[in-house]
Amino acid sequence: MLDLQGYGPRLIEGAGVTIQLALLSLILAIVLGLLTASAKMSRSWLLHKIATLYTTVIRGVPDLVLMMLLFFGGQMALNVATDALYDRFGVDWYVNLNAFAAGVLTIGFIFGAYMGETFRGAFLAVDEGQIEAGRAYGMSDWLVFRRIRFPLMMRHALPGLSNNWMVLLKTTALVSVIGLSDMVRVAAEASRATHEPFVFLIPVALIYLAIASVSEWIFARLQKRYNVGFGGH
Amino acid sequence: MAATPMPLEARNIKKRFGDTEVLKGLSLQAHKGDVITLIGASGSGKSTFLRCMNLLEQPDEGDLLMHGEEIRFKQTRRGREPADWKQVVRMRAKLSMVFQGFNLWAHMTLLENIIEAPVHVLGKPKKEAIEQAHALLERVGLSARANAYPAQMSGGQQQRGAIARALAMDPEVMLFDEPTSALDPELVGDVLKVMRDLAAEGRTMVVVTHEMSFARDVSSQVIYLHQGLIEEAGPPKDVLTNPSSPRLQQFLAPKY
Amino acid sequence: MELMTWFTELLEGNLIFTPQTLSYYWDGLVTTTQLVFLSLLAGLVLAVPLAIGRSSRHRWISLPIYAYTYVFRGTPLLIQLYIIYYGVVFVDGIQESIFWPLLREAFYPALIAFTLNTAAYTTEIFRGAIKATARGEIEAARAYGMSQSLMMRRIILPSAFRRALPAYGNEVIFMLHASAIASVVTLMDLTGAARFVYARFYAPFEAFLFVAAIYLCLTFAILYFFRFLEKRLLAHLKPA
Repeated sequence: MLDLQGYGPRLIEGAGVTIQLALLSLILAIVLGLLTASAKMSRSWLLHKIATLYTTVIRGVPDLVLMMLLFFGGQMALNVATDALYDRFGVDWYVNLNAFAAGVLTIGFIFGAYMGETFRGAFLAVDEGQIEAGRAYGMSDWLVFRRIRFPLMMRHALPGLSNNWMVLLKTTALVSVIGLSDMVRVAAEASRATHEPFVFLIPVALIYLAIASVSEWIFARLQKRYNVGFGGH
Repeated sequence: MAATPMPLEARNIKKRFGDTEVLKGLSLQAHKGDVITLIGASGSGKSTFLRCMNLLEQPDEGDLLMHGEEIRFKQTRRGREPADWKQVVRMRAKLSMVFQGFNLWAHMTLLENIIEAPVHVLGKPKKEAIEQAHALLERVGLSARANAYPAQMSGGQQQRGAIARALAMDPEVMLFDEPTSALDPELVGDVLKVMRDLAAEGRTMVVVTHEMSFARDVSSQVIYLHQGLIEEAGPPKDVLTNPSSPRLQQFLAPKY
Repeated sequence: MELMTWFTELLEGNLIFTPQTLSYYWDGLVTTTQLVFLSLLAGLVLAVPLAIGRSSRHRWISLPIYAYTYVFRGTPLLIQLYIIYYGVVFVDGIQESIFWPLLREAFYPALIAFTLNTAAYTTEIFRGAIKATARGEIEAARAYGMSQSLMMRRIILPSAFRRALPAYGNEVIFMLHASAIASVVTLMDLTGAARFVYARFYAPFEAFLFVAAIYLCLTFAILYFFRFLEKRLLAHLKPA
């Protein structure tokens, strides 16, 4: 039997951290991605430039470096801000940047850039004629978006979305480096302490595989749903 | 006639895809210099029959002979397969095929396409193959396009290039699988002209086509297939001018 | 000369980017380049036969390769790195073998982990490209009497490599970025250098923004290199 030498509960907690982190980051990434895609397709020159700068820089720099920059740099920026508050107004307020929040923000911020590209491509693939048909029947812009453009777009976006999610899931492992006790950090600590790396690291690898397999199944079902009417299988 | 065995003979070829029997026992004898045209409605099995002749499809029953040498088959779990792939490779090198979709290799220039099989399959010296390729390109009227890639050529040019590629193998029999069907009407003439020239110089050819004028003017034998069977066969003047089967009469009737 | 004095003055007026710390970054750049280049090279060499096997009709060849790519693509590289870095000591007899002096350093376990990882991704990229070979081109090759191996060598692989180029370019960039985790196992790569500078001066913005800029430049260099390659090698697919 697998002897986890008392690390079992902490590993399970760590798995919970990983899953929460991944899901919250995904939500943030989708929101940022939709905003980025709209900015890139907007007529505003400034919005377009900002969105392009965002996606280019994020995709040109390693996740880990961005994470450290935001985590360590973010803490320092907060310190400077709170010090200023104390000096000027005498408010004694200290914020310790929470590693979990930093993790969600960074991963969401990073994957927002990738999602932006996915959504932009998907929006462009939507047949404009069907949008016009919606307008011609007197649908409002919001109704057209909700009932026609979004469902049509999702069909094109799902493969990219699924791919981004798989990469995002694996990227969560990096938060262990900035001190968050996800399952990778627990397993690495346990490996060092007990000198039995395989006992801890291999089950964690298997959990990642299990999450990936479940996600694959969910995405396959979603794909089926959004493919209705396209003769897709 | 009996002294030199036929370049290609197919005996009683049968083929099924799943539950449908597409070829129900077809035979063909190509003597040296024959131009045999296979005609018939789509779904009659003419392309499948042609593809069975160089084993791009495996016939379920029947024999194939080249110069009297029989292709050996064996029964496997997946069905009937050639017993000796070396024999097949040797046979294919003597039968060269021209496809409906040209099938030129997209990552090679036209010249590279032409010398590829002669150099790597037949082991011809590269220099010699290049000289031959230039002569063939001249013949099909494509000297200027030797270094073009397939994607940069029109369909008609690609098909004439593909014919040059087939000729470079010095084939004993040339198989044409609807060579003009994928072409725009105005490009068909150039390709047919090249094929007529080949027939005139005595090449042995088996041609699947919808071009009735080609069948009438050029072929020595016309075979009309209907639902996997030979409905009528013979010299074009009999088969095409005086068809006896009502189905063939209908097939040949002008369509308005 | 003028530029040189300007540069020295800039460095003198600066507490963090001293010649000393710049040399850390330089050493980090060398380590990162070695690690990424060597693992990509070894991964490429492994991936070609694996991709051919993965495309095989025989399940006993393709299935184990699929299992390998599934595991290595489905788990974080960091886990793979930890398993090899912490686990290598426990391989029987490894400490007596001639490889031990090498494996004891962090560089080689990292190189092995990166190689196995990129080989898995590259295998799938090549497999996709092999699968996408036009059916007609394969038929033509068979009709002209090519054997299976000749066809693989002359027709399928040359066209598959060209098709795989854009995806492989992404993989190269991905590896450059992924290599940042080498710093986690004490390697002084680019990110390692940045962490060192951060810890020493407690200057996160300077340390990490500088290294981010270096990575950005490297990324663009790779991007343009692959664009150039694509232009040359995929020219045949564009109509004249």
